[in-house]
Amino acid sequence: MNFFEFLVARSEDMLELGLGHAALVGAAVLIATVIGVLLGIATYRKEKPREAILAVCGAFLTVPSFALFVLLIGPLGLGWKPVLVALTMYGLLPIVRNTITGLREVDPAIVESALGMGMSRRQRLLRIELPLAWPVIITGVRVTTLVLLGIAAIGSIVLGPGYGEFIFTGLARVGTPVAVNLVLAGTLGVIVLAILFDLAFYLLRKITTSQGIR
Amino acid sequence: MTSPTNATSHDGRVMIRLEELTKKFPGQKQNAVDSLTLDIPEGDIVVLVGPSGCGKTTTMKMMNRIIEPSSGRIILDGEDVTSSDPDQLRRRIGYVIQQIGLFPHQSIGENVGTVPKLLGWDSKRISTRVDELLEMVNMEPSQFRNRYPKQLSGGQKQRVGVARALGADPDVMLMDEPFGAIDPITRDRLQNEFLRLQSEVRKTIVFVTHDIDEAIKMGDRIAILQDGSHIAQYDTPEQILTAPANDFVADFIGKGASLKRLNLSRVADIGLKQLPTVQLGTDREGVMAALRQTELSAVLVLDGEGRPLRWVGAEDLQRGGGRPLDELGLAPEAAVEARATLSDALNELITARYSITIVVDSRGVYQGVVDIDQINDAIRTMRSTAVAKARESLTDDSMAEQGRLP
Repeated sequence: MNFFEFLVARSEDMLELGLGHAALVGAAVLIATVIGVLLGIATYRKEKPREAILAVCGAFLTVPSFALFVLLIGPLGLGWKPVLVALTMYGLLPIVRNTITGLREVDPAIVESALGMGMSRRQRLLRIELPLAWPVIITGVRVTTLVLLGIAAIGSIVLGPGYGEFIFTGLARVGTPVAVNLVLAGTLGVIVLAILFDLAFYLLRKITTSQGIR
Repeated sequence: MTSPTNATSHDGRVMIRLEELTKKFPGQKQNAVDSLTLDIPEGDIVVLVGPSGCGKTTTMKMMNRIIEPSSGRIILDGEDVTSSDPDQLRRRIGYVIQQIGLFPHQSIGENVGTVPKLLGWDSKRISTRVDELLEMVNMEPSQFRNRYPKQLSGGQKQRVGVARALGADPDVMLMDEPFGAIDPITRDRLQNEFLRLQSEVRKTIVFVTHDIDEAIKMGDRIAILQDGSHIAQYDTPEQILTAPANDFVADFIGKGASLKRLNLSRVADIGLKQLPTVQLGTDREGVMAALRQTELSAVLVLDGEGRPLRWVGAEDLQRGGGRPLDELGLAPEAAVEARATLSDALNELITARYSITIVVDSRGVYQGVVDIDQINDAIRTMRSTAVAKARESLTDDSMAEQGRLP
């Protein structure tokens, strides 16, 4: 059975695993975006909290994913839960960092004129600073998504959903003819998802960014 | 002056009063602004001018409390606003800064409508007001309303900045070097436009600059500030040029005070010279007759509306055969309006072909010309007045010591 025949034969599995993979990463990105943007907003104006939060989010990324998944089995059991939590933790750094960078890069003269016209702190943030920082923030979200798509595959070690299942099954059968096909199919699935997500973000960024700063 | 409500005209009524206003920044030994007391009369442009670091910008930013004072009081239109809600206060005060700070992600219309929107106006009233404001600053609403700031030139951005500051028709405008980042030619034009606008809207304006020439041109009153925002002299431009209160002021004005006075006189203040002109469509004989009368080698052709069109000389007439007048000769240089200063007129004159400056009204209709002799006369008159005044102040120096402003 060559690779294409294999893909056709397992097309239903491919689709199902793909949906699971995408849903898991999508949920993790969403949660990481909400938490990350809020953390960014809370810390961007003061140096010490800013440095602290970036250090913590950076530290998350240094924990080997394999180890983190296994460590989370204790409190959360097997399945999608430990994977979702781990992915959220890994996804924070690019989003927090880009939120802070984006907000800090807003021209101070623009913020001062908003202040001078009588906008409250909240109005300045929502009407001026966040819309101007948005292209930078969404770029961070995009990076997070690509990173998480890869890490999510390893989540299958704790029985999380996604293409990791093919890859780990293939690993378990190294030496048999189907092993290579399984690993290739899992990898291809992740790559296709990455391309689709990237396209979606490209469109989202285009639609949600004001014409004036494009 | 003590009761701001009983004044009938803008004369003498105080719009902003600063009382012993002081700002000390943390970690600095000296006060950035040190116990400044200053009255800003209603409807005037008051220019705060001084060397960099003198505290003029800090002083201005305390008026809308972008910088909070360390002590002292700010009275706006009779009301103590030193500790009122700063956001509410700022919506009553127009604010223009050097970098302008338009919101790049919002259209020009949205930018100009910022304060009305904050005040909760309905969208129809906002869009009417936005169009009105854009027209006020000479920008065609239908053309510019939906553009974005990045599509505008520096001068256009500056106009939008002024329109935005006028958003909800505030009584007071604060302007921090509003023309500072603009090339000199555009700056002159914008200054003149702004003065014309101000003659219509009559706002109380506090204007910060480091440029004494700009201060003389723009100010009804000028406060020359030293370190710590100490007032070296607070007076009309005429008085400051004629009778500097001390060496600091004299130094700051610098050399060439008589040339600077050219910034004080408007073209409208001196009689315009009339030269023979011809209407478009005048026949050859008529043009020749005009050419014989004029002292120049060419005569100005006006279009049907009376706007300058071409300079046509005798040679052009011969070479041109029977062609219409608007295809002969040379296009006239830029003209100035009657509100322009003599300094503007002199600038035009130096580069002009026939050593005269054409003066037009706001619709571009020809009014007359200014030549070098008239400007010379104006300088001479101003200088002799200044000398006379200086003599006067010399003789009653003993009394003047106590009486000197502020």
